[in-house]
Amino acid sequence: MAALADQNRLMQNVIERVINLLIYLLESPVPVTADDVRFTVAGYGDQTDDAFHRMFERDKEVLRRLGVPLERQALDGFGVDFGYRVDPEKYALPDPGLTEEERFALSVAARMVRLGGGNAGLEGLNKLGGVERGVGLEPLGADLGAESEILGDLFRAVTERRTIRFRYKDDGRTLKPYGLAHRRGHWYLAGDGPDGPRVFRIDRMADLEVGEEPGSFAPPSDFDIRATMISQPWDLGSEPKLVAKVRFDPEVAWWAARTLGVGAIDGKPLEVELPVSNHDAFVGWILSFGASAEVISPEEMRDEIRARVQAAVAGVG
Amino acid sequence: MTSPRTVSRLARILALVPYVLSRDSVDVEEILDRFGYTEADLSKDLNTLFVCGLPGYGPGDLIEAYIDENEVIIDAADYFARAPRLTSTEALGLLAAGMAIIGSGQANPTLAGAVAKLTKVVLPEAEAAISVEVAAELETVGLLRQAAREQTAVRITYRSLSREEETVRQIEPWSVFATLGNWYVQAYCRLVEAERVFRVDRIRSMEATDSHFERPEGVPEPGVSYSPSDDDIVCRLGLSPSARWVLDYYPVELVSESKKETVISFSSPDVQIPARLLLRLGSAARFISGDEVRATVAEIGKKLLAIYA
Repeated sequence: MAALADQNRLMQNVIERVINLLIYLLESPVPVTADDVRFTVAGYGDQTDDAFHRMFERDKEVLRRLGVPLERQALDGFGVDFGYRVDPEKYALPDPGLTEEERFALSVAARMVRLGGGNAGLEGLNKLGGVERGVGLEPLGADLGAESEILGDLFRAVTERRTIRFRYKDDGRTLKPYGLAHRRGHWYLAGDGPDGPRVFRIDRMADLEVGEEPGSFAPPSDFDIRATMISQPWDLGSEPKLVAKVRFDPEVAWWAARTLGVGAIDGKPLEVELPVSNHDAFVGWILSFGASAEVISPEEMRDEIRARVQAAVAGVG
Repeated sequence: MTSPRTVSRLARILALVPYVLSRDSVDVEEILDRFGYTEADLSKDLNTLFVCGLPGYGPGDLIEAYIDENEVIIDAADYFARAPRLTSTEALGLLAAGMAIIGSGQANPTLAGAVAKLTKVVLPEAEAAISVEVAAELETVGLLRQAAREQTAVRITYRSLSREEETVRQIEPWSVFATLGNWYVQAYCRLVEAERVFRVDRIRSMEATDSHFERPEGVPEPGVSYSPSDDDIVCRLGLSPSARWVLDYYPVELVSESKKETVISFSSPDVQIPARLLLRLGSAARFISGDEVRATVAEIGKKLLAIYA
């Protein structure tokens, strides 16, 4: 029990100290140094140098996690002394002017949608003025996947126009991130890099670093993420584009038609032409129909499928 | 690292203060409901605010915060007159949730208005920078949702994901949701007399019935997963790094893992599933064991090679 009481006391101390620190930073007309904080703000006194620095670092991190824009500025020309401030204008949430009904609609949506294993954005609603909770659970409406942490960082890079670096399929990349989209169960990032405009799947990105400098670029004024996103996975690739003619047998035609968003006649085979720029994804999709789908042309696509099947058959032989 | 609980408590305090400051009078009940407080937690947070304020920390420097005759009073805290900005995770979460519900056709115009207003604040210069679409909505989704609301059973012709065959069955739809790019319906299936999750795009046709059902209390959150059973076909495969995505898409058991190869055990009630997977993986997977799968790959492979000869 004593341990629990200690823990509560510790949490209480952190909360009081962070509130006092935030008030001091908001109210100070000039940037303040770490020493100013140490000798002015309640809760930091009587600490060794080391203990103070650890505490201060932790508290700054808490402020960042709360969404407080903590700025660090050099106080001299040599970069030796640094000061901290929180600009009250940048701190405050601009009022979106939501009505009570709109807040409620947002809260229902947040409860119906899962992101990163939790309710999407629900905690942010308090900042918008909270919402009458009512009773009962909303049924699950959509699950947008599990990559919420990297998504938050990418969203910040998009909104603050910071350049990013990351690894993608083992290659290092630099990118000006323009926008985020969720399609067919996956999150994608669109942006411009040394190889031109590209789209990346977020769950395949690793070692993300967000640049220090906000406002590093300006996206094209007519940029629209929706125009960047293509309709099918095999359309998302960098290989030469080709048009494949495919035939589906009657028993799977309705299902293929549904996936493609085209019409099919019951009991008849379906023939379609599809643009393909990711051969691997396309071959995989076609083979998921077993022998009930056939690529009629072009010949090079048929060659790829044959090679894939031969490899699989040799593997079990 | 400071605990998430500490951060959540602080976030709620910083949202609570401006709410109270901007109103003439606020009841305790209103705060409890609106911010999800218990009475004890609210007292604790008000007592915390009461000892915080401007350096000097004399009586005139501290925040006034207390409950007086069922009214929440906060004063002398002008620096907290406005709530802090949304974090990027919160902003993205709210926008994505709103867009997903709008895109799935479950929204009313109020939500569209809310998302538009929020987008203006969060993305003032890049309103077209985010887009969320869940799986394209089929007509069936709306009909299933209606049946779930009205608690009437429907008769469906279903092409099973695990067995490549069609069955006709009556189901009692409980909830309809999108995940992993597809629509699913969680339902009680009268054919197998158990709870099941069906992929909506696999429902070939559907008819309403006038058979009423009672949705049970406390239905568990649907999980789109598959638990292997004793009757399953089992095979063992080695995946090269480019085929590791299989781990995310199929219910597999990890056997061993090295930089070069991930070995998995794959269970399925239908041999077609692992066989077709092997065909699509080609040389990116190494077949290790599983006689039924071996035979089926060879059989479909033979047909395919005849087609592509």
